[in-house]
Amino acid sequence: MSRKVCIIGGATTPFDYGPTGFESIEGGAAECVRETQQDVPGFSLRDLDLMIYSHFSVHFGHQLAPEWIIHDHLGLVGLPHYRVENGGNTGGSALYAAALAVMSGHHDCVGVIGWETMDSVSQSQGSEFIAMASDIRYELMVGGIYPIYYAAMANKWMKDNHVTEEDVARIAVKNKNNAMDNPKAQWYRNDHTYLTVDDVMNSRLISYPIKKYDCCLMSRGVAFVVVCSEEYAKKVNPDHYVTIDGMGLSSCTIRAGDRLNNPTWKEHYGPGYPEMTEFGACRNAAEQAYTMAGIKDPLKDIDFGEIHDAFSTSEAQIYKALGLADTDTIAKFIRDERTSMHGDIPMNPGGGLLGYGHPVGATGIMSTIEAYYQLAGLIPKKHLSTTTEVPDAECGIVNSHAGTGTSISNFILRRH
Amino acid sequence: MTVTLTMNKKNKKFADAPVFTDKKDYRPTGVTEVGLTFVGHEISEDRTAMNQFLHYDQLYTIRHGWNSKFFIGLLEGKIMGTRCPKCGDTWVPVRTHCWNLNCNLEHTDWVEMPLTATVHTWTVAGWSGRSSLKRLPIILVYALVGDSKVAIANELHNLAPWDVEFGMPLQIVFKPQEERVGAITDFHFEPADGWTPSPMTPEKERIKQLVEPVYDWVKTLK
Repeated sequence: MSRKVCIIGGATTPFDYGPTGFESIEGGAAECVRETQQDVPGFSLRDLDLMIYSHFSVHFGHQLAPEWIIHDHLGLVGLPHYRVENGGNTGGSALYAAALAVMSGHHDCVGVIGWETMDSVSQSQGSEFIAMASDIRYELMVGGIYPIYYAAMANKWMKDNHVTEEDVARIAVKNKNNAMDNPKAQWYRNDHTYLTVDDVMNSRLISYPIKKYDCCLMSRGVAFVVVCSEEYAKKVNPDHYVTIDGMGLSSCTIRAGDRLNNPTWKEHYGPGYPEMTEFGACRNAAEQAYTMAGIKDPLKDIDFGEIHDAFSTSEAQIYKALGLADTDTIAKFIRDERTSMHGDIPMNPGGGLLGYGHPVGATGIMSTIEAYYQLAGLIPKKHLSTTTEVPDAECGIVNSHAGTGTSISNFILRRH
Repeated sequence: MTVTLTMNKKNKKFADAPVFTDKKDYRPTGVTEVGLTFVGHEISEDRTAMNQFLHYDQLYTIRHGWNSKFFIGLLEGKIMGTRCPKCGDTWVPVRTHCWNLNCNLEHTDWVEMPLTATVHTWTVAGWSGRSSLKRLPIILVYALVGDSKVAIANELHNLAPWDVEFGMPLQIVFKPQEERVGAITDFHFEPADGWTPSPMTPEKERIKQLVEPVYDWVKTLK
């Protein structure tokens, strides 16, 4: 039996496009650690025995091995460190690596720092940089950027599942409006407005059926979380730690068109799946996490989630991949607002990528921290009100997602 | 040092170096690599914040290696696919080794594909990466070429954006030979001869409504 893995605290910088107040990555990282120490006075940098850095693109950072700058700045010379990179699932993958390190018994207290500085280039150049994670030989130059790939997948998915533009617009509205209760969220700090479905429907076309407000935000931001053994958690934060009871990581093709007729998926799930529309890696990673955590019925057993809503459409697709609904029920599931704050499984109370922001390497860590806050009872302290608190939350899911669904991780967190 | 000398003396060849004779240079004039250069900065009024502008450009060599036949095929106006001799699966984009785990990375055979395809899914883009903005709106389709098991992405031309349909038959159209560069942009899709779009629907009207401002916006681009 491997060791239990816990989270004892974490924090992000404000997410922004432009000034956050912590423009240097090492300064931002230091402030995240300081905030964590304020929440958990027993936690000391001296307790760390491994640092894992979560960063996607050196194109944005104009610096190779930028984690060396942060590590050095934090005074952690001598401590082992390495960087994890796995596209949009960089944060989830870094968390996975940290959990494995603790589970193995080799490390007791692992710090994970994620960041991205996407405002170092223009938005359209930034889109193109990110699209360099698609297969540049075949896809980048045919007008392809991720919103376009996602739109092509979502367009067919929505028709196959009878989901409308208005349905997914509800998801965009939900997450951006949730972000209005979160002072660190980019939507709160920049756009600072409550949206309606009409606003989403009338926003400019990005790629049909995706409009501007269906899209997440390009961001600058840093996040820090502490992953540790239960012995350490009991020592420094006995009343406010959570456990990672399940985790799964899976993969799919880099080019979305290549998952049609894929023999390995066919072997797993039968012919016709995941088509070009479903996130097979998400389903697969969820199954691993559910088995490990003893989740029988995710709708009943999970209270809320912080999931990778890069687009409103992909949040809807993720609901299905997580087993919350099927082809027959997904449209009603969305229309019944099951995932809003008054629903039975609120998704992205922290605002998600649509509202909080998506500084790629920090994103999965941000989702983890928001889930931690919910389970540790810290939402009243961290958000502006309790409207985005999931009352009595015992179990949450964290989802991190890359490429066109190319790498996906899921984590089941429980209140201690 | 001794080791290095030994290696040089042996002059061991691990692979034959290709002899490149058919060279083309279509780089825009005036573009040269200058390496990393600071090209400016700005300081806030209160002198507490500074931004510095770093310019970096780099010419990359994409060595297509075993995939080269596909890209050379584009220059010749052909779509080359690959097929597994064991299981028969065929791919465009190509795979030089079979994806079926039972075939144990079997080397695949090159096959010339027909210049016909079918739309699997589509989208109409009103925003894109910097190098594509002026071509907006773009119809991007994922289409199955011939008997390919996988779909390839490319643009669909010669059609109003709101008239693209699932399952529509396509033809592959190459740029004139002198304009080809051996890249995926050497071809695009067009509706197959004789295909006509279905009448307007509420969805088509919706797409038209979303796309019309894009045409105006593109006109404002320098």
